[in-house]
Amino acid sequence: MNTTVHQTGSVKDYFSSLYKGVTSTAKGMWITFKYVWAVKPVSIEYPEVREVLPERARMRLFNDVQNCISCTQCAMACPVDCIYIASEKMPEGSEIKKTSNGQPIRLLLTQFTIDTALCCYCGLCTTVCPTECLTHSHDYEFSQYTIDSMKYDYLAPDVISWRDRIVK
Amino acid sequence: MQTRWDIGEPEAPTINSETEQLKSELLTLNMGPQHPATHGVLRIEIWTDSEIVAHAIPHLGYLHRCMEKHAENLDYRGIIPFVDRLDYLAAMNMEWTYAMTVEKMLGTEVPRRAELLRIITGELQRIASHLMAFGTYALDLGAFTPFLYAFEEREKILRLFEEVSGSRLLYNYIWIGGVWNDWTNEQIERASQFCDTMEEEAKKYHELVSTNKIFIERTANVGVMSLQDCFDYGASGPVLRGSGFKWDLRKNIPYSLYSEFDFDVPVGTGEVGQVGDCWNRYIVRMKEVVESIKIIRQAIAKLEPGPVMGKVPKIIKLPKGEVYVRAECPRGELAFHLVSEEGGKKPYRLKVKSPCFTHVSMLPHIAPGQMIADFVASVGSIDIVLGEVDR
Repeated sequence: MNTTVHQTGSVKDYFSSLYKGVTSTAKGMWITFKYVWAVKPVSIEYPEVREVLPERARMRLFNDVQNCISCTQCAMACPVDCIYIASEKMPEGSEIKKTSNGQPIRLLLTQFTIDTALCCYCGLCTTVCPTECLTHSHDYEFSQYTIDSMKYDYLAPDVISWRDRIVK
Repeated sequence: MQTRWDIGEPEAPTINSETEQLKSELLTLNMGPQHPATHGVLRIEIWTDSEIVAHAIPHLGYLHRCMEKHAENLDYRGIIPFVDRLDYLAAMNMEWTYAMTVEKMLGTEVPRRAELLRIITGELQRIASHLMAFGTYALDLGAFTPFLYAFEEREKILRLFEEVSGSRLLYNYIWIGGVWNDWTNEQIERASQFCDTMEEEAKKYHELVSTNKIFIERTANVGVMSLQDCFDYGASGPVLRGSGFKWDLRKNIPYSLYSEFDFDVPVGTGEVGQVGDCWNRYIVRMKEVVESIKIIRQAIAKLEPGPVMGKVPKIIKLPKGEVYVRAECPRGELAFHLVSEEGGKKPYRLKVKSPCFTHVSMLPHIAPGQMIADFVASVGSIDIVLGEVDR
């Protein structure tokens, strides 16, 4: 058992420890005091001033459905299974489109939904994407009132319209 | 009252004859789970006699995420984001240890540049973690300002990591076989600039906190863990070194490229207080920051252009077997015990040996006889992260 016992020393010890306490605290206070004018503020006032995010920053996912070939590799790589993909055969006689890097789109994508509330922003899905259509955008303000509205259907017109802003 | 462990009614500690007469019923006090001094969601049930702790029982499991069971249903690459969340203040070191575990089983050769980048990120992460420990420890003891200074420097590291990996806290940067992205020359330059400023800052911290009389009074001779206790419980990292035992895996059993590096292993010497007390554990961390800066400088000097990713199959399948790999993380020795089945894409079992868990187990041993305020200082000095304790 280790009890801390404060023994009362001599008067000299008392005053010397008092002196040490005052001087060492004053030293610390002086360091802090220098910050009044010598050091510029390092924090930013967030809603008014925003930092530019680095290029690799991993924020909300965006899938450019025009380039998606429904390969489901992203859904398989996802460690939390938050990507839902459904596709069906192309209707007979329709012309086979190609993605921006030349891969033919053989399947018709009928659903591409990501549960953003479940997503852990690890970036594994974006690294396996063969056509690089699934990317992390730089949007980080997307709080919602209900958890269902965190599910993004990337085939919905309002979500497709992000494309002009995100894809360069 | 019966507790889960059925320890019975503990004896109140005897301090002197005066309190002996005043001894009455013990008061049960819950410290946590929402207590700022417990660094997360640790609940400590304290039995107190007036202001003196008679018994302290840590209750774990508030941050249990079932990580080990999850890992059995994930492929080897998909485990890395979960491993990040073990010790979220030192995620790079967690990933690194896990990557080493799978690489050892797979027999992958990691390129030299990737190893050096791992050392740079790992040591920067160690500095960031120790800065957090420094800041929050001062906060526990009632000093608010050092916390802000520590966060100012930590922010620089996090910013650098965000540019390199894309995330600020849970990086998923160190992959099996190498690292995800290469560093640009500009980023390496910034890392070496950070080393210069950090050296100056470390001196400032010593002036501000380490030599402060009030801080010394609060921490010296408090929460003493003797070397024998540390061996008995299996302590590691700064807790073991604070008790005066020179043991660092980077030095004693070098992994990665650490055998090429020249650095010291700081131990608690008892210049203030006695060996094994809170102050010595604290000072070991602050000295380690300086040692990490040394390692980063040497690693930057050794960097040469080259690949950062080794040859790893697209779908990782491990042979049947077991492997146990440990590494020196900011909080102590982290180890992974991986059991794999023949040709399995998923591990059969992934056991995590967490340093913080052993350190939390030491709390009931050092708590009896302490004042509550000193107990807060003891909890802060072992620097626990509950994500790693509960897993």
